[in-house]
Amino acid sequence: MILNKNIGVTDKLLFLTIIIVSLLGLTILYSATNENLDVVIRQGTRLIFCFFLMLFISSLDINRLKIISPYVYVISIFLLIITLFWGHDSKGATRWIMIFGFSLQVSEILKVILPMMLAWFLSLSEDKEIDFTKLVISFLIIFLPISFVIKQPDLGTSLIILLCGIISIFLGGIKRTHIMYIFGLFLVVAPLMWKFLLLPYQKKRILTLIDPSSDPLGSGYHIIQSKIAVGSGGFFGKGFLNGTQSQLEFLPERGTDFIFAVFAEEFGFFGIMILFLLYLIIILRCIHITHKAKNYFSKILAGSITCIFVLLIITNVSMAIGLLPVVGVTLPLLSLGGSSLLSIFFAFGIMFSINRRV
Amino acid sequence: MKRSFLDFSRINAEKLFQNRFNILISILVILSLFLIIRLYFLQVVSFNHFDTLSKTNRIKYISTPPRRGIIYDRNNIVLADNASLYSIEINIKEAKNIKNIIEAVKKEIALSQKEINNFHKKRVKYSHYNSIILKSNLSEEEVAKILSIRYKFDGLDVTASLLRKYPFKEVTHHILGHVGYIDKKDLKSLDKKKYRNTQYIGKTGVEKFYENELYGKPGYKHVEINARGRQLRDLDIGYAEAGVDIHLTIDIELQKFMHQNLLEFSGSSIAMNPKNGEILGMVSLPSVDPNERLWKYGYDQAEIKKLKSPLFNRSINGLYSPGSTIKPLVALNSIKNNLIDPYQEIYAGPYFQLPDSPRRFRDWKPEGHGMVDLNKAIVQSCDVYFYNLANNLGIKNMSSFFKNFSFGSKTGIDMPFESSGVLPSDEWKKKNVGYKWTDGDTVITGIGQGYFLATPLQLAYATSIIANRGLISIPKLNKDIQKEKNKKILEKEEFFKNNLKPEDWEIITNAMFDVVNKQNGTAFWSIRDKKNKIAGKTGTVQVYSLSQETDERDDENIPDHLKDHSLYVAFAPIDEPQIVIATVVENVGSGSKFAAPISNKIINYYLNKVKERY
Repeated sequence: MILNKNIGVTDKLLFLTIIIVSLLGLTILYSATNENLDVVIRQGTRLIFCFFLMLFISSLDINRLKIISPYVYVISIFLLIITLFWGHDSKGATRWIMIFGFSLQVSEILKVILPMMLAWFLSLSEDKEIDFTKLVISFLIIFLPISFVIKQPDLGTSLIILLCGIISIFLGGIKRTHIMYIFGLFLVVAPLMWKFLLLPYQKKRILTLIDPSSDPLGSGYHIIQSKIAVGSGGFFGKGFLNGTQSQLEFLPERGTDFIFAVFAEEFGFFGIMILFLLYLIIILRCIHITHKAKNYFSKILAGSITCIFVLLIITNVSMAIGLLPVVGVTLPLLSLGGSSLLSIFFAFGIMFSINRRV
Repeated sequence: MKRSFLDFSRINAEKLFQNRFNILISILVILSLFLIIRLYFLQVVSFNHFDTLSKTNRIKYISTPPRRGIIYDRNNIVLADNASLYSIEINIKEAKNIKNIIEAVKKEIALSQKEINNFHKKRVKYSHYNSIILKSNLSEEEVAKILSIRYKFDGLDVTASLLRKYPFKEVTHHILGHVGYIDKKDLKSLDKKKYRNTQYIGKTGVEKFYENELYGKPGYKHVEINARGRQLRDLDIGYAEAGVDIHLTIDIELQKFMHQNLLEFSGSSIAMNPKNGEILGMVSLPSVDPNERLWKYGYDQAEIKKLKSPLFNRSINGLYSPGSTIKPLVALNSIKNNLIDPYQEIYAGPYFQLPDSPRRFRDWKPEGHGMVDLNKAIVQSCDVYFYNLANNLGIKNMSSFFKNFSFGSKTGIDMPFESSGVLPSDEWKKKNVGYKWTDGDTVITGIGQGYFLATPLQLAYATSIIANRGLISIPKLNKDIQKEKNKKILEKEEFFKNNLKPEDWEIITNAMFDVVNKQNGTAFWSIRDKKNKIAGKTGTVQVYSLSQETDERDDENIPDHLKDHSLYVAFAPIDEPQIVIATVVENVGSGSKFAAPISNKIINYYLNKVKERY
């Protein structure tokens, strides 16, 4: 039934691969949480919930999704404001709100909602090319939610959301001259941001990235331990549940930020290549759907989702091997946490929906 | 100019999108490839590097120090033992909330505010240490209580350390010596790998001499630890080998008795079995309790002075003029050289004078002894008689004869830092004093004064050779070792055998017997119970010499530290000697008054009470 073209998923291979990777995620989570079955069951429950949400979204007509985009955007802005005032704290940041007993990180879902909103806005008058006014409005759409996220404070997610928005505008057909302006502006603003906007801990994170050994027990610790975990995995890995770095808790944030390091330690380079192969299948199917998308909105949205999916993988892996600061980006489909799962399955729902219109 | 997306750029827009999409995908593909290459380098190329790092992370090498050997006396009574000391330690680096930990500990066991304050003080003072002791000396019940809450707190731990215990305290201190924390000086000479994780090392006495045997062989352990440093399981264990237990020749009952009898004095007394060289008891006073205080904190110079050098082992390091105790050997030497007829009486006046010299060598008896033969000279300790003998023998002859009794060289007892004493000779004086040897030097050497210096152990050793009539047993403390007689010893025994007849020895031993048993003997009044047939010789050593002009000594007004040393050597029973003793009591007066009664009491105690038990 769910494979029925009219109501369910429309790409069997994509669907199957998503399920395989999700199950792989639960497996590695079992190891990452030191065989804590409770956590795995909770994540599995979330997975089932998100799975049905995906089926529901995929059954919707893409045009209907297009119409509700601005409302969804406004609701998420509203939720961000609530987060700022009534959200609950964790490790010095206010990122979550409770909805129906679930804690939700609104900034995670923005990674999908923002491209949706931008695709809607850019396709409002698809006969016009993107002029200056449109560009400014697009950036306002991007910076409005970011201004709330950055206050949480969550610089990492803010930057990722910014990148998601830029991808959408870029795909939407922004003029080459405008790209030059934006780039120039960035060169001016970035140093100012470093000086005035970044909190000391954020600066430290970036600095320890350059030289992790400068603070081996502080912020450099995460990077060093993660690199050791990945490197000591070798070609075939230490085996499932045998990763010493993760099982003996040398690795921090094993379920979320550093789940890749757990995977790399236990399954090695070989395992990573298989994981990447699975990701590649998903990406290739998404590219395929993007190519086949019929209208402007669908194309921008599908393209954005595809690129953002790859971007998140690259960012998370780069974090795990010490190429990027620890910005709190999850590994799609593998990391523990409901919000990222929600946004990804939401995105795949959209992809299936777009695919049905092909 | 307005352009419709549909009419003009429907195709263009799609093309543009496709173009942009391709650009993005290409960038992402390049980045992904870069990541894969990077992963390959991490996991395949530098695998060994990270594998090592991961193992260093989780595997900890722990050296387990061996149990130190126990020291027993000859009847298996423990003289040095190990006790476990349990302490609560808090690892400052691992502990999350030290206040909470202290509160929790306080709920379980008694913890005074003073202990808590001390802990905080130490935290500041020893900030370079990871772990600070909160409470020491826990009972087993307290240990169990703390262990039951340990899992709740990172950084809370109970550690066990071994403590060296000396149950007989100051009584055995100078023999056993003591252990102490390994210091910089020790570090220079010891095997650092072997002593890793070991707190202390033998510093003096038997503890030092038998350090290698007592120490044992350390073990090791590879344990797996987690990120918080908690030990999870042992991966590999090499058990430590306990140190060898040592059985000493000491009889603790005799040792206690000797200590008791010398308690109020400074000095030394050594009891030895002449047959096999076994030291039965060896005391040096004053002494201190070596438990804890000494090896943990030490004593400062002012305290040492106040306590009259309690760390100084007078038995093997105290250098005393042998005084009259040397007279039997001078007599023996004269007999050997046929310089006297032992039975011929000669006149001994109040002093002896060398030809062409005004200097008078006075006798201890102001009026002189009158007509004396050898026996009487020894029994009454006639100085003038021996001035004569010494003068006739000459220093060269005396020196080489004394050498056979180990004067001037170490006895070879199994203890560290033994002193050699001084055996005076022409060469020795030239080298050490700078002047030529004089005949006067020779004369006073005949009564054991002058440059002649010996340790109490050397006196006991020399006396044991008399008791054995020329057979030599090297003194020893370890019952389980056999001291092989080396070539030198054998040569000496050969010398005695070839040059002295049994009758010669008898003359000397009989005279020594008379010292204790004849009414006018210097040690006659020193002991009432004479059934053990003690043979001995007293000695009174002047710490300061009289001027040549005055004949009178004002004994009453001499300050304590200038009073005579009281010496006595003896063996018993005379025919089948079982015990030899040498005693020095510092700054008290004559040998007959102090050293002799004490020593004879010890001999009787040993032969009457201690021997019975075997």
